[in-house]
Amino acid sequence: MLEAIAGGFTALLTPQAMLFMFIGVIYGLVIGILPGLGGVVAMALLLPFTYGFEKAATLALLLGAHIATIWGDSVTSILFSVPGSAKGLALCFDGYPMTKQGQAKRALAASATGALMGGIIGAVFLALCIPLIRPVILALGPSEYLMMALWGLTVIATFSQGSLMKGLIASLLGVLAAFIGMDVVTATPRFTFGSEFLMDGISFPVAMIGLFAVSEMMKLAIQGTPIVDRALVKEVSTVWQGVQDAFRHWWLVVRSSVLGLWIGVLPGVGASVAGLAAYAQAAQTSKTPERFGKGAVEGVIAPDATMGANEGGGLMPTLAFGIPGGESMALLLVAFIGLGVVPGPEMLTKNLDLVFSMVWIIVIANVLVTLIGLGITPWLARLPSLQANLMVPIVLSVCFVGAYATRSRIEDVVVAAIFGVLGYLMDKYQYSRANFVIGMVLAVMIERNLHISLTLYGADFLLDRPIALAMLAFVVVTAALPFVRNWMRSRRKTR
Amino acid sequence: MMSRRAQENLIAAALIVLFAGIIWLCQDFGPRARMIPLPLAILGIVLTVIQIVWQNWRPAGELQMEMIEVEAPGELPKPEGSAAPAKKRITWRHEAGAVVIVLILLGLIFLVGIIPAVFVFTCGYFRVTGLYSWRASLIYTAVLTAAVYGLFVLALQIQPYHGLLEPLVERFR
Repeated sequence: MLEAIAGGFTALLTPQAMLFMFIGVIYGLVIGILPGLGGVVAMALLLPFTYGFEKAATLALLLGAHIATIWGDSVTSILFSVPGSAKGLALCFDGYPMTKQGQAKRALAASATGALMGGIIGAVFLALCIPLIRPVILALGPSEYLMMALWGLTVIATFSQGSLMKGLIASLLGVLAAFIGMDVVTATPRFTFGSEFLMDGISFPVAMIGLFAVSEMMKLAIQGTPIVDRALVKEVSTVWQGVQDAFRHWWLVVRSSVLGLWIGVLPGVGASVAGLAAYAQAAQTSKTPERFGKGAVEGVIAPDATMGANEGGGLMPTLAFGIPGGESMALLLVAFIGLGVVPGPEMLTKNLDLVFSMVWIIVIANVLVTLIGLGITPWLARLPSLQANLMVPIVLSVCFVGAYATRSRIEDVVVAAIFGVLGYLMDKYQYSRANFVIGMVLAVMIERNLHISLTLYGADFLLDRPIALAMLAFVVVTAALPFVRNWMRSRRKTR
Repeated sequence: MMSRRAQENLIAAALIVLFAGIIWLCQDFGPRARMIPLPLAILGIVLTVIQIVWQNWRPAGELQMEMIEVEAPGELPKPEGSAAPAKKRITWRHEAGAVVIVLILLGLIFLVGIIPAVFVFTCGYFRVTGLYSWRASLIYTAVLTAAVYGLFVLALQIQPYHGLLEPLVERFR
């Protein structure tokens, strides 16, 4: 075991591996920052260039790029409320309000440090848990996945302050928007009006670009002043504050990382759900949940720690069984085939040093990203104070190009524009955009797993699945928690 | 000008029409395909009706009868060492202007293609708002367009959309 750990590390000390790791990280940061493009695109574009190199160097390039996209996504979410991809969404909720309050440096640093800590926890757990995880994965089925998705929905209450009705309506709209396209279970085209384009459904990154980025640029054009007017709001935070925040909330980081690992282990759940679930648990377990959505640093740390750890979790089923945890892990499987490596139980015997190389890659890439991130944070934090007339055309243009780039379909640009206007109206009339997106993310997962559960276990599937039943009880308790807390607080006030 | 309450009622009415439309469309689906959308649309109508009752029952002041303040200063804690943000009264003209900006970029993309549209839109925006002189606008826009082209077309190998006018350009080649 120790030999494999050392062997895995020394394989990364070659000039080729180090250079590939550095190129991967820089490339991943750039791709992560571009709207609509995330880790999957980063890895897919690198794949053709990976044949014929050292195994460790190839994996350093691919995994390094993928890990760097996590913080790249967070940067634009925090500074402009423009998620680089679906997984950066949860960072908009508190990161952007922090930027508006002159705490951009703190938010960016907390995000980078949270991702680093999550990444390291994920890597360590990956190393320790590979032999243990098999029975856990096999014990879970669609009913348990359904409960996990339902748990994600409980965050809706957090974003419905002011009007719960409007919050619920917004999430219903999001769920229904996700049903546009071909139903994967029954092969029925739903709400497509005969359009071939709509058969593929609404692209989630495109919808997010519209709802958040385009609508924010519309607001900026109307307002005519920068996101942060330095004459009114001074940058009051420091990078060091953000680093300290992540360490101060170490228990939140650990909890979020374990959650990220857990979601990463479950095939097909994905990092966007992980980020939202992390945000939900951070808000629900906070002593001051009312600060969430208004610039709470915990709302930045939790999703980043989860997404950092998610990579380690995602690698577990990929390496141990050859079952990819998500799209990016599926691409990694393709790379394995190109390298002549067969994922599965053999990975833990014949290729254990390669497994540990990947553990080291996760650690080193996370450290590199954080060092680069902390280094460039003071410059990045100045961007929101750029004039609105400079920001609007540049960001709007890049967003529309990003929307087109997601599927190379011009109709996606129209969808981004429509969702932009929709996002503006929702913001104006206080129908939570966050709830809309949460509904959209979880809808397909809920529907698919409900149908599979009904087919496999019948209408009373919960009685057949005790783990799912226990999870349902947990969902009900966590959903009720904010309301019980509010009720108790108001009772205390009246006394 | 329409009151905030009337605007809210209009939005709620539009939502009811939308949910009713979804229910109608669901009738064409099989029982499994409509198992989730149909009850959700019915729930949507119920929630919207409750919302309509609620917003017409509440005092007008709670509905923010003034047009929105985009900065929404009341929602965020005030940062340390900062002056009070200036409030800007937003009218429908400002909002229509923002929609027009989006539509212009969309129209340009359809007409001349995605990369030339970035150049024309950004340069035009800089000039119309008077942010930069002609020369500076052209230089900055050229740099931006080159960066977008380099990143998306050269590095990421994305085939750009060439626009509806492309056949016309081809004819003169």
